[in-house]
Amino acid sequence: MIPPLGLETAMPRLACLAVPLFPLAARLRSEPELTREALAILEGNGQAARVVASTRAARAAGVRPGLSLPQARALCPKLAVRTRDGTCERAAQEALLEIADGFSPRVEDAGDGVAYVDLGSLDRRYPGAAGEVSLGRDLAQAGEARSLPVRVGIASSKLAARVAAGLPGSPVIVPAGEEALFLAPLPLARLAPHLEISGTLERWGLSSIGDFARLAPAEVASRLGRTGSDLHAIARGLDARPLVPREPPPSFEEGMSLEWPLASLEPFLFVGRAALERLCRRLEGAGLACLRLELDLGLEPEGHLRRAIDLPAPTRDAKTLLALLRLDLEAHPPGAPVVGFLVRAHPDRPREAQLSLLGPAALSPDRLATTLARLFALLGAERVGSPSPVDRHRPEASALVAFAPPPPPDVRPAPHGGRGLLGVRVLRPPLSIEVLTGGDRPAAETPLEVRPVIRDDGERRPEIRGTVRVASGPWALEDGWWTDDPADREYWDVELAGGGVYRLFRDRRTGDWFADGIYD
Amino acid sequence: MLHAVRSAEIDLPAFPPPARTALPEALRARVRSAREIGRRREREPLPTGVPALDRLLEGGLPRGELVEVLGARSSGRLSLVLDVLAAATAAGESAALVDLGDHLDPGQAAAAGCDLARLLWVRPQKVEHALAAVEMLLGAGFQLVVVDLGLPPVRGGRGIEAGWLRLARAADAQGAALLVSAPYRASGTAAAAVLELDRGPVHWLRSGSALLGGLGGSLTLEKRRGGATGRHAGISWRTAESPLAPPLPEPCGEGVDFDLRARASA
Repeated sequence: MIPPLGLETAMPRLACLAVPLFPLAARLRSEPELTREALAILEGNGQAARVVASTRAARAAGVRPGLSLPQARALCPKLAVRTRDGTCERAAQEALLEIADGFSPRVEDAGDGVAYVDLGSLDRRYPGAAGEVSLGRDLAQAGEARSLPVRVGIASSKLAARVAAGLPGSPVIVPAGEEALFLAPLPLARLAPHLEISGTLERWGLSSIGDFARLAPAEVASRLGRTGSDLHAIARGLDARPLVPREPPPSFEEGMSLEWPLASLEPFLFVGRAALERLCRRLEGAGLACLRLELDLGLEPEGHLRRAIDLPAPTRDAKTLLALLRLDLEAHPPGAPVVGFLVRAHPDRPREAQLSLLGPAALSPDRLATTLARLFALLGAERVGSPSPVDRHRPEASALVAFAPPPPPDVRPAPHGGRGLLGVRVLRPPLSIEVLTGGDRPAAETPLEVRPVIRDDGERRPEIRGTVRVASGPWALEDGWWTDDPADREYWDVELAGGGVYRLFRDRRTGDWFADGIYD
Repeated sequence: MLHAVRSAEIDLPAFPPPARTALPEALRARVRSAREIGRRREREPLPTGVPALDRLLEGGLPRGELVEVLGARSSGRLSLVLDVLAAATAAGESAALVDLGDHLDPGQAAAAGCDLARLLWVRPQKVEHALAAVEMLLGAGFQLVVVDLGLPPVRGGRGIEAGWLRLARAADAQGAALLVSAPYRASGTAAAAVLELDRGPVHWLRSGSALLGGLGGSLTLEKRRGGATGRHAGISWRTAESPLAPPLPEPCGEGVDFDLRARASA
């Protein structure tokens, strides 16, 4: 008989999420069109490459782990082959952990398609044994929604949960306190496949975990030391290994190694789009949005290029991110064929808005962020924003700040009349003109006639021409005398006989005349 | 066997009194009964803060329609745009200005009463970019989008009429007011209303030397889909910089013009 434990009720319940054939599942997540094909994942280089996982169609043809590529091709001539891709697997592992994050704040990253979830805080939502079954199904469904075939095992020890997750009929629930019974019939190799101690135990004539658990703890400790004692406790259902919660990553990444180099933009955007869509789904699942997008390109033969795009507001719209990538790559081509890529999203909380029942409608933060990003892509960041006056005297000076409108008032205020102030249409840059002045007027420099300066630079600018009807001025303006670009101007308001009221100035350093505004 | 039963034969219970009457007025306008869902919604116009414009457009800029304002240099077209933006942002609406000529002075916009935090300033360099930006802004839910095409020659021409029609449809779909300020007709048949600003006399104050006091003019309704045209109203703007400038009188009644210069000299 296995000795009674007595500590089972104090042990927290854990769920183990395991993705079978993880290298294959990670690859199929990036290339879902290969799911029904005969596909094998190889590890190693050249002749040493061996199959580590294969799809159902390949397995039906006899392709098994451990075969070399020629052997596999001999069995299945149409076999598609991919090498293990660390980028794909890292992204798939992160996606698995994010699925777990959606259920509990305490999640352990066990690597290679395995994650442990602390269920201590979920007993109210999923009470009892039936609740655990329901929780297991929900976890598996969440995995399917992220294109990951997740198997779930729930138990009070990591080993029991891991073994349960590896069994068919997911989710497999090991009732609390029955971990030892659950593990007893399993072979010793399940206990510690990476330790040589398993071989020692088999030489002792022990064939199952239950055989090992029946040994006296003190005897095991005296012969096998600390490691053996710990394994013995695990075999008895007492897993002393604590769950080590992971720190949430600072960024979200998706990417893959390409099977052949891509030299043109469109094929790259085709695969990049799928990666961005996966990235946006992950961001949405975490309640976050992308504020900065980084693109790492692996170039042939050994080059590397990193591009970064700052967004005006957090967004998780894949189309917008793709448009930004397209524009950036068109402006800065990599210069060599691309053999792999990684897109990294630096997350931020999306903007939130409280809708008002009686006041003006607020802009949807998501739509606004997407629109701003698209406007940035179309016009450039320096041409979109909220206007801001600058502390300068030059009329043409202006600044833009990020557009982040405050929430609308709760109640729409009563409409009121405008202030009726006359505006000036600023000419940026100031328009170069010729001004005839007369010495017989009260002010020696009073403008008499204005003519355009004809420039042959191909740009069509407004033309200002005519006899001065009324002139008002001069007013001096001096600005930035301490800088490299000082302004020392003499301003005039003039009405031309042909109509139009203009703001002109004479640069007192050069004597040149300019028009920098039209009263309109 | 199934029998069709006419509704009149069914003894229906007394219909409860409409609950809308119990709602505050601001909320009542937003609530529709089931039978009203299929009908086209009556949209409340967006007040512009320019009495002459509100009068000619019967309450303000019609939501869901494209309105075009034409005007030569110094006709007050930019001042009108600033007043419209000021009225909308002061009411808590977010507004967008697509400024093709890059003519906006933020300091003046603030002085005109614009809440700059609620104003998105977009500065395209071509008409086609301006049209694309307007479509994005309407799609984002801005309730007022103003396009200022600047001075002639407009960069990129008038734009294709199909583009303007597309924008008019987008404004209709979003229930947004779309105001186009242009030196000449650009939007073609897409405009539901066209107004023209005529340049009036310039107001010079003479206290020692001349000082610009303001501009006057008139606003004429040249086109109104489904309405009367030809009406006009006086309109005027004064300079902010001039402490000598007296407040200009409220615009006179429709069809009445006034001479600012004569008033100043008087």
